Amino acid sequence: MIEYKNITKRFGEKAAVDNLTLSLEKGTITMLIGPSGCGKTTSLKMVNRLVDPDEGDILINGDSIFDLDPVTLRRDIGYVIQEIGLFPHYSVFDNIATLPRLHKWDEKKIKDRVYEVLDMVTLDETYADKYPRQLSGGERQRVGLARALAADPEVLLMDEPFGAIDPINRLILQQSFLEIQEEIKKTIVFVTHDINEAIQLGDKIAIMNQGSLVQFDTVSEILANPENEFVENLLGQDRNLKALSLKKAKDYAVKEGYITVTDGTEKEEIRKELEDKDLIVAYILDSRDRLKGRYYIDKSARKVEGRYPIVRETKPYRVTRNTSLTETLSRMLEHGEKKLPVVTREDRLTGVIDLDAIFEEVEQAGAPKEA
Amino acid sequence: MEFFTYIAENSDLVVSSIIRHFVLFAISMAFAVTVGTGLSIIITREGHEKMGQVILSVTGASQAVPSVAVIALVFLFIGIGMKPAIIALVIYSLVPIVFNATSGILSVDPGVIQAARGMGLTRTQRLWRIKIPLAMPVIMSGIRSAATINIGTVTVAAIIGAGGLGDIIYTGLKLNRPEMILIGAGFAAIIAILVDTVLHYVEQKVTPKGLA
Repeated sequence: MIEYKNITKRFGEKAAVDNLTLSLEKGTITMLIGPSGCGKTTSLKMVNRLVDPDEGDILINGDSIFDLDPVTLRRDIGYVIQEIGLFPHYSVFDNIATLPRLHKWDEKKIKDRVYEVLDMVTLDETYADKYPRQLSGGERQRVGLARALAADPEVLLMDEPFGAIDPINRLILQQSFLEIQEEIKKTIVFVTHDINEAIQLGDKIAIMNQGSLVQFDTVSEILANPENEFVENLLGQDRNLKALSLKKAKDYAVKEGYITVTDGTEKEEIRKELEDKDLIVAYILDSRDRLKGRYYIDKSARKVEGRYPIVRETKPYRVTRNTSLTETLSRMLEHGEKKLPVVTREDRLTGVIDLDAIFEEVEQAGAPKEA
Repeated sequence: MEFFTYIAENSDLVVSSIIRHFVLFAISMAFAVTVGTGLSIIITREGHEKMGQVILSVTGASQAVPSVAVIALVFLFIGIGMKPAIIALVIYSLVPIVFNATSGILSVDPGVIQAARGMGLTRTQRLWRIKIPLAMPVIMSGIRSAATINIGTVTVAAIIGAGGLGDIIYTGLKLNRPEMILIGAGFAAIIAILVDTVLHYVEQKVTPKGLA
């Protein structure tokens, strides 16, 4: 846990950070975001004492960092900056081994650890002997992360680590970074100027402007209740859409509005049940509840003998439980479906999600004032 | 073929001049490299980058001062002989060494230095493990050009009694014997080429693998 207590830092007359008090929970990612010059990077660099504040105190797990020698402190904190931070004259192995060597681990342990963290960032052993200039931007960034993790620090400071990476690779890196974090559960302070990155990666977001903390809360809370106009502008016009991207289909799946049948049930029998219940969809499940297909009454077709035809489909569109609402919405629009079945990883049907439920969510979040 | 006749008849003088020339070069360069890189390290300490910039301008401009002028000044204040000559050579060789070493160290990527600092490398570790290795190619090219200039300047230093191949050249000038001038200049050139070849090899050896 990291606590900023009334931190102030002045550069000349101007306060770069003004009376900042912030408490970051252990094992979570806190995103520091704001326009350039808002003090986010300065605040980050105070944690490993690259910058010392003029006033206030910073505690890690209750102990003031100013009681420690800066060098000792830094060796226990992982630090990742944009790709330029790798030592160009060190091989990947030596770059990663830097801190373990300063900690004087024995070579065997260092070697094991280097390969372990390389594996963690999904780079294979052949990378160990390469030099930074032989790597792509994304690979360099992975090595940077591996190097920061090498000595297994509890706290990780990341200063716009993905800033210099192209959008496609950035997305891949962000996803794999989240997966790594699920595994290692570090306390991470992450500086970014990209609101989408903040929403994507953060457990909590601290929004700063002109050295002051504007809002500090969970991502969904900030999206739902922006403190003021500044935060609204930072979030952008599409913040409701962004809020949807945090929500998962599983939380909106309902077990009504459809019937389930086993394979081999007579068409007419299904039609009768649907008509009795005034429904149009029947999902076909196997003995283990896995989605095998669906029947639906096609109301867009021409009536045959006064009734709409019933159609069988073997591979109905579906979403998984953890699909975000934005993704669910876009699949609905893409396939022209108002309802989609929600399935588990093993393809078991857990319910259906309705377009109306998503719309309701949008309305609850409140339409942007400008609209 | 007066050239070869002269060498054959005065082999002792030629050989001792070559040795003297080389010794003057070696001693003055040893001092210049030590003092020059040491000076650059002090100049480029973190937090004193402005001073480094000043030194860069000063040494940059000093490279335009002719060697004869430096030698003449040393003669005025210190006198003649081997010692004053070495002092003049050290001063003159310092300029390119300090210029290159300073600009080399200052041009190390600040991001790399900051990463090193953030990871907990001490000031000394940052200097020897990061800055010096990364600045090595630039430092070495300064040393190489200083060496070449130094060997040429040794011949000029003969005017204040340094000895070496310059003596043969000046005698040749006075006696109007072109073969002597040719011998002095030729051997100085050969020394310069040999030294540069050796230093080129050293440069490749000390340049870290990940660069280049």
